[in-house]
Amino acid sequence: MRVLVTVGSTKFDALVGAALSQPVLDALIQKGYSDIVVQCGDSHVDEFGPTDVERKVRRHGLDIDVWRFKPRLDEEYDAADLIIGHAGSGTILDVLRRGKRLIIVPNPTLLDNHQEDMAHAMGELGHAKVSRVNELARSVMDLDASSLVPFPPFDASKFRGLMDQEMGFES
Amino acid sequence: MHLLTWLSFGIVLAIIARIYVIVITSRSSTSRGRGRAETCHLAVFLGSGELYRYIGGHSSEALSLVSALDFSRYGPRTYLISDGDSLSEQKACHGASTGGYQILTIPRARRVHQGILTVPFTALRSLLGAMYHVTLAPRLFGDSTFDVLLLNGPGTCVVLCVAVYLNRFLGLPSPRLVYVESFARVRTLSLSGKLLRPIVDRFIVQWPDLLRNGGRGECHGWLV
Repeated sequence: MRVLVTVGSTKFDALVGAALSQPVLDALIQKGYSDIVVQCGDSHVDEFGPTDVERKVRRHGLDIDVWRFKPRLDEEYDAADLIIGHAGSGTILDVLRRGKRLIIVPNPTLLDNHQEDMAHAMGELGHAKVSRVNELARSVMDLDASSLVPFPPFDASKFRGLMDQEMGFES
Repeated sequence: MHLLTWLSFGIVLAIIARIYVIVITSRSSTSRGRGRAETCHLAVFLGSGELYRYIGGHSSEALSLVSALDFSRYGPRTYLISDGDSLSEQKACHGASTGGYQILTIPRARRVHQGILTVPFTALRSLLGAMYHVTLAPRLFGDSTFDVLLLNGPGTCVVLCVAVYLNRFLGLPSPRLVYVESFARVRTLSLSGKLLRPIVDRFIVQWPDLLRNGGRGECHGWLV
């Protein structure tokens, strides 16, 4: 099974650091994830120089694919069984609409922390598991896919109705 | 001198009264009915201020909203993007494969991490760009006027609203302003949302908590 850790276009050193740490890697292995991919964005990774964009990183006996950016993550989401990501709404929508398991780790260092609100809302609705960075290993262990609530599909009729009404189209 | 003071006071008062009347009348007015064969020119602001290597969350959401519409009713479509936002442009092309669209660029009102001191200058440049597309081009070159302008939060959309209000001030045709707050806003409005809430024609949020304080707006659940 494959896990994708993603920070989108942000810099989230703590999440990337945690994802490459022994407790989290151990938890992932124990849960059957042998294929680990980390999209690190602008975050710091020891092995990465200023111009490096992609490399294999060896940690605790594991070869981990780490890269900074790709124009689209769709294929990466499709290929993953579990996504661990920051609380960006784009990531959340993309991942949950695919019916994938998601652990949301909000970035506590953001000043305007509306991402935290989003993470809490998703956690409360049961669509995803929410974790602090320092609890990530336990969250991976505790994640129970069967307890996650399926995310509703995109419903085009609502906005279409609103706009048609506003613009005077008969329905 | 005294007369001049009173005169300028009067002018300012008249302008404020005019804007007030515009806000009140455009809020209460609805669009005229449109027949089956009619279409409406839709403009969408996609530009994303915070992301450059990735498609911004805002542009993805805006395109998702557009994808909900019946393109036989909403055409032509104009995608407005911030200059230098080439990925938004790619994405617009990607999301608008069915023809009948154009892409126009507007200078950014504020770049990421831009100091506050220079914002008035970039914002003015941005406003001139917005005025060109909203006010000037339809007058000078007979470009079709937008019937509706869909906005969902990136900063530059505020200057677009100012440009639309200039049209209304001058009595020129102007688009309906539909603002949809980002799905990402669960408990607090974005700055654009706070600024535009009183002046847009429809103010739509996707999380009910945002209307708790009894302010203006509507919530119909998630739209993206």
